[in-house]
Amino acid sequence: MLKKSLLGLGALLLLFPTMAFAADGDPSAATLNMGLNALWILVAAILVLLMQGGFILLETGSTRMKNAGHVAGKTIFTVGLASLVYWAVGYGITFGGDASESLNKFMGIGNFFFDPSILAGEGDSYPATIFFIFQLAFAAVSLSIAWGGFAERAKLSVYLIFTIVFAAVIYPIIAHWIWGGGWLAADGAQDYAGSTVVHLTGAMAAFAATILLKPRIGKFNKDGSANEILGHNQVFTSLSVLLLWVGWFGFNAGSAVSVGEGFFGYVAFTTQLGAAGGAVSALLISWLVKGKADIPSMLNGALAGLVAITASCAFVEPWAAVVIGLIAGVLVFVSAQFFEKIRVDDPISAMSVHGAAGVWGTLANGLFATQKLVDQVGVGKAGLFYGGGGEQLWVQFLSVVVCGAFAFAVSFVVLWVIKQVSGLRVTEEQEIIGLDLSEHGTYGYPEALKRAGTNTTSL
Amino acid sequence: MSQMDLAQRLLEINGAGTLQQLRTIREEVQERVSSLLREEYRVVPVVEALNELHDALIRRVLTLAEQDTARMGLVAPPVPYAYFLFGSGGRGEQTLASDQDSGLVYGDCADPEEAELAAAYFGALGSRIVASLFEIGYPPCEGNVIVSNPEWCLPISAWEQKVDRWFAEPSWENVRYLLILADARLLAGDAELGRRWKGRYIGDMMSHADIARRMLENTLRHKVLIGVFGQLFVEHYGENAGSLDVKYGAYIPMVNIFRLLAMRADIPATSTLGRIRALREIGALSGDKADEAAWAFEVVLRLRLLASDRDDNGQWAGSGKLRSAVLDKEEKAPLKKALRICRRLQRQLEKEMQRRFGGR
Repeated sequence: MLKKSLLGLGALLLLFPTMAFAADGDPSAATLNMGLNALWILVAAILVLLMQGGFILLETGSTRMKNAGHVAGKTIFTVGLASLVYWAVGYGITFGGDASESLNKFMGIGNFFFDPSILAGEGDSYPATIFFIFQLAFAAVSLSIAWGGFAERAKLSVYLIFTIVFAAVIYPIIAHWIWGGGWLAADGAQDYAGSTVVHLTGAMAAFAATILLKPRIGKFNKDGSANEILGHNQVFTSLSVLLLWVGWFGFNAGSAVSVGEGFFGYVAFTTQLGAAGGAVSALLISWLVKGKADIPSMLNGALAGLVAITASCAFVEPWAAVVIGLIAGVLVFVSAQFFEKIRVDDPISAMSVHGAAGVWGTLANGLFATQKLVDQVGVGKAGLFYGGGGEQLWVQFLSVVVCGAFAFAVSFVVLWVIKQVSGLRVTEEQEIIGLDLSEHGTYGYPEALKRAGTNTTSL
Repeated sequence: MSQMDLAQRLLEINGAGTLQQLRTIREEVQERVSSLLREEYRVVPVVEALNELHDALIRRVLTLAEQDTARMGLVAPPVPYAYFLFGSGGRGEQTLASDQDSGLVYGDCADPEEAELAAAYFGALGSRIVASLFEIGYPPCEGNVIVSNPEWCLPISAWEQKVDRWFAEPSWENVRYLLILADARLLAGDAELGRRWKGRYIGDMMSHADIARRMLENTLRHKVLIGVFGQLFVEHYGENAGSLDVKYGAYIPMVNIFRLLAMRADIPATSTLGRIRALREIGALSGDKADEAAWAFEVVLRLRLLASDRDDNGQWAGSGKLRSAVLDKEEKAPLKKALRICRRLQRQLEKEMQRRFGGR
């Protein structure tokens, strides 16, 4: 009922904007506009937060039963911790306005322990509270992507320490560079909803972790060949992709941070096309190459399509969105095989889905961005195929390389230090018994698994 | 392996008095064959010689097993018996590491008492044969299609009832049994009894639409391991990563295709090359197609032989999987060509199935 009347109100306002001026004492057009923006952004923020449900199911479904409770539960814990850290420090580093002009190129300062005004101020297009929640949800997504590289072998304490560093420093600085008025923003880097900022950053942290943690026991044989460690629940994994897909409408279309003339609808539209392209091409390529249509590959393809279109959803035409998704689906399949070949154990394909596809999506702007859409968004220039020359492509390339390198380097250093000080990985026995028992004392599936170590090695 | 060599070996086998002697002969022959294969010999003469040796070894084991059974105090009943090989043995395509797939049929007895004695005798003989063959390095069939299994060691009347039941109820499993029978080859025993037993079902199978459809399905079950880009579908994971399942991805599909075509044309030959030859003679395959098919089968057969080797314990073992190290570039090209030919044949059969049975 509430939804209906709100929709009606919105529609009337769009049709008859003068209605808002109808009588004294009624809210002004600006206030109504602000209210609609606020509603949409909060809905989007909730959708993005709900994507954590997707990550829980994705990571749990792609790993083994003996770690299920740990893998699922730690996501909620780290979202909680990251929220506190981001509130205290991270948000201020991304969006704080007190830094000197030269420092501001690198990071922001101010708004630490964020204490927003309780209402939107005069002339604001949305309340700061809602913007904070929206941004926080993004930071949490990036963090959960990183966990893919830690899965099934990192100690719980490592999750705790890394969450603090990631939510306070690593993610906020990169977000500042592109979205907070930092040096890449000045260059005109196009990353509409965060292929680079959110996905590549998370993937690079995962990459650093997986290098330092080394492969899971039993993943590779002495002769270098790989073993398949199957996830324990493909239904979880499929459901996770649906959750993420739906949440992504908040991620991308929410990044319009306004309702206005309805541009966020266009963003949602290209998002759907990109995701669809990824799912279709990944299934087909796995079928053609391996002779069997691989479900995990297809699911990764859908996610890769989403990751890739995230940067470009506001800058490209519908056909290009389809192409970007199709290529992302093939890319993620090839990339996953590549990482396995170089003996990097990536249990939930974080590097391929969020890394490879994140790079591709960001670069795709340099190829497919159209002048009309660039004018609409107001960032950067048209791409190579639309008369913009190679300039935008170069800017995109630069942002990928710099952000990727920064995220990788800082994550690597932080994790290396932790490794030297307290160690990253659980003991061999703990890993074999499972992290549910070693880190938390009970199994996620107590009835399916024996408690004492009698039968656990074969899991 | 020269004719002289072979004749000499066959004589040795027939003179061998113990299983240990037979085992030694087998070892020596297999070493020789194994090196021959690597020296690029034409595969067909090698396979033929190898199978003559296998046949001779098994026949000798049968004789020794009869003697053992007699020593145990069991008296042979006054009925003839016939010993059949199924699977690769039936087709004369045994490798260096083949298992035992066998069946035994014996004559009907005059009265129930005698029948009971016969069952006991042939049961003991069957078990003795299986144990002896195991001793000289032939592991029993995993599917339990073997003479020590009472289901596969029966008097002819029971066999006939059994086969009739399979016809009457062409479930997936029963059709699989019928396909196994199609490769049956009389190795030893009474030829007349053997002919009668085979005559019972050969020629009859394809007249049942139900059975024909199921056989077609069963025949096409194994996919040829080559992709649309001409790439080989190798194993991705585990100890066998990078190896190709030559047995189920190349050899068995070809065997299945020509078995089916042969059955349809009422051809009694059991070897795949024999079936191709016969199909050509009756005009079911053109000269070109038959040459092509025979060439492809030889390529696959050679690699299948290469896929069997000694395992870590020195036992001859055939996973049917060919390590990629064995497959150099020169071997890959003909293999791919052979697989494409095989896939084309499968497609033709598939299309025919769509036409005849309206698809699945």
